[in-house]
Amino acid sequence: MIQVAATHRLSIDCEGDIIAVRRRVRDIAELRKFDSFATAAITTASSELARNALVHGGKGVALIEEVTDGSRLGIRIVFEDEGPGIEDIPRVLAGGYTTARSMGLGLSGSKRLVDEFALESTPGSGTKVTVTKWRRF
Amino acid sequence: MDHRKYMTILKLDEAAIASRRAFFAVSDEDLARLASLRPLAEKIIDAIVEDFYALLLSHPDTRKFFADEATIRRVKRTQREYFMGLFAGRCDLAYVEDRLRVGAMHERIGLAPTWYLGAYRQYLELIRQHFDAQLTEQGAARDGFLSVQRLVFFDVALAIDTYIAANLEALGRHQAAVRELSTPVIRVHDRVLLLPLVGTVDSHRAQQIMESVLTHVVEAQARCIIIDIAGVPVVDTRVADHLLKTAAAVRLLGAQVVLTGITAQVARTMVQLGLDVSSMHTVSRLSEGIELALGMIGKAITAKSK
Repeated sequence: MIQVAATHRLSIDCEGDIIAVRRRVRDIAELRKFDSFATAAITTASSELARNALVHGGKGVALIEEVTDGSRLGIRIVFEDEGPGIEDIPRVLAGGYTTARSMGLGLSGSKRLVDEFALESTPGSGTKVTVTKWRRF
Repeated sequence: MDHRKYMTILKLDEAAIASRRAFFAVSDEDLARLASLRPLAEKIIDAIVEDFYALLLSHPDTRKFFADEATIRRVKRTQREYFMGLFAGRCDLAYVEDRLRVGAMHERIGLAPTWYLGAYRQYLELIRQHFDAQLTEQGAARDGFLSVQRLVFFDVALAIDTYIAANLEALGRHQAAVRELSTPVIRVHDRVLLLPLVGTVDSHRAQQIMESVLTHVVEAQARCIIIDIAGVPVVDTRVADHLLKTAAAVRLLGAQVVLTGITAQVARTMVQLGLDVSSMHTVSRLSEGIELALGMIGKAITAKSK
C-alpha cells in the first residue's frame, strides 16, 4: 500500500520548466537523503521525461510525489502530456528510435534509471509515464 | 495536499520545528496553558470570528476576497478550525503542516501579506479583549495572551515563509528560463583550448557553445579542446547529443575533443542511458585532461630538474 506524503505539481510549458522539474526532483532526493547515484538517476530521468512531454506533447504536467510503501521512501513522478501518443511502444522502449531527430534513448534510458516504470499511451490522446525511485538503505 | 510540498521546500523537519519553537519561545508550558484555555476558547469563538469578519468585510481591499455568502460561510468555518488549533496544546509536524495551509491558501487567492498581517493584529486584539473580560484571576489574562501571541507569531512566520517560497518558486522558474551563461574558451597552451561548461545546457546555449568552440578552434589552430562538464548539473541525452555533435564538428577541423569533469554519478547515469561517447577522449579530472591534450601536441608536464 503506497502512501503519498506530499505532492508537487509542476507544469511543463517551456525549456525552463524542464529545469524546474528536475531541480525540484533533485532537491527532494537530497532532502530525503537518497544516495548520490540514485539522485543523479532520478534527476536525469525526470529531465528526459519532462523534455519528452514538452517536445512530443507541446506541453505537459509533472506530478512529483513523495511516497512511502511502509518500509521505504520513494519519489514517484507522473509525466502527462496530451500529444499524439506513441504508436509502437515496444519499439520506443527498445531504444534508438526517434521522431524528433534526437538520439531516441530518452524513454529506454529513463526506464533503466528508475526502479519502476509504466508507460501508457493512446495514439491521438497523449502519453502518461509513471516512474518510481526508491531510497536504498 | 499541495500545501505539504512546502514542508519539503522550507526544509521543515522535527529539528527545524524545534529550532523555530525555541526561537519563538513556544514552550511546553505555553501549549499546556493554551490547552487549559480550550473551554474559554469555545465560549468566545463565535464572537471572535464574527468580529473578525466584520473587519475584513468592512475594508474594500479585503472584502473583494469574499464574493458571496457561501464563501463567507466556508471561510468562517475554516477560521473556527484555525482558532481552535491554537488551543490544541500541540506544536508538532502535523500542526505545522496544517498551518502551512494558511499561507499557501492566501498566496493562491492572491491575498497580499499586508492584509493577512493586519488581520492578525485585529485577531490578537480581539483575543486580548475577551481574555481581559473573562480571565479575572490575577495575571491570567496576560499569561494566556502571551502564550497565544507566541504561537500566533510562530504561525505568522510559517505563513510568510510560505508566501516567500511560493514567490521564489515562480522567480526560479523565470531565472532558469533566461539563464544564459557565456561560453568562455580559454587558451591553456599553444593549440590547446579549454571550455569549462557551467550550468544548464539548453538548445539555445548548445548552439552558442558549438559556434564558439568551432570559431576558437579555427582561430587558435587548436589541435585539442578540453570540454569540462564538472559544472553541468544534469547530463541527459540532450546534453550528450550536443557534446557528440560538437565533437564531430571539431574533428572535421582536424582537432580532438577531450571531455573532463565526469563524476562517478554522471558516468553511471550515462551508461544506464545507453550513451556512447567513445568518439571523445574522456577522463575524470581536468588535470588529466590537460596532460592528455598536451600529449597530443607533443608536450608534457615534467618536474623541474634541480
